[in-house]
Amino acid sequence: MMERSSRSQRPQRGGSRMQQRGNQRGNQRGGPQRGPQIRKKRSCRFCDHKDVYIDYKNEKKLQRFVSEQGRIIPKRITGTCSRHQRMLVQAIKRARHLALLPFVSEAVK
Amino acid sequence: MEQQRRKVYETTFILNATLDDAQIDQIIEKFRDFVTKQAGEMKVLEKWGRKRLSYPIQKKNNGFYVISEFTAPSDMISKLERYYALDENIMRFLTIQLSEKALKAREQQAKLIEKEESAELKPAVRTGAPGESELKATEGRK
Repeated sequence: MMERSSRSQRPQRGGSRMQQRGNQRGNQRGGPQRGPQIRKKRSCRFCDHKDVYIDYKNEKKLQRFVSEQGRIIPKRITGTCSRHQRMLVQAIKRARHLALLPFVSEAVK
Repeated sequence: MEQQRRKVYETTFILNATLDDAQIDQIIEKFRDFVTKQAGEMKVLEKWGRKRLSYPIQKKNNGFYVISEFTAPSDMISKLERYYALDENIMRFLTIQLSEKALKAREQQAKLIEKEESAELKPAVRTGAPGESELKATEGRK
């Protein structure tokens, strides 16, 4: 009896019914704790090839991993693996030393 | 023994871009002499030319970049860095040691880029309307 009344008014508990609804019309109410979310898998851009050398002279490539203010973007956002993030950070810092990349971009100053 | 201690280095320095081309060439020539005198072997010496700096160095917004690769005994690097520091026209410098891994990876990357470029050229000829002049141009490149 309890269950029926709650269902008819406002489904609160996540169950099989919730999942069906979610499938039918986009999971609008569901937070991250409700069932597995389908996420786009991010992968490391550098892992495609076995041997990688990240060149500090190629500032255009490095710019992709630097925010607009000139900060290094964390690997949890870019999806770079730890090993390549370390290499990348070294390259970015070298490029900064040679004024190829800014420490702080002009817009922020 | 001495041969084993030699390592591959890559050095980049930024020259004062307000100098004339002749003066810049003179400085680069001096640098080359310095490296060869210190028992270094010059492999690559490349002028990148004038570039805008991302931030001002010594109140200047432009710099002349020079990149060089050489093998040398390890004690030469401290001398080189001292030489850089004493030369007023050198605004910034960076010397790094290229590990064997880095060298290998770089070689492979260069090969890959070559492959990609040749792969891009071929379909471009097939899909694009094959004008005669275009075909001739690609043949000429091969």
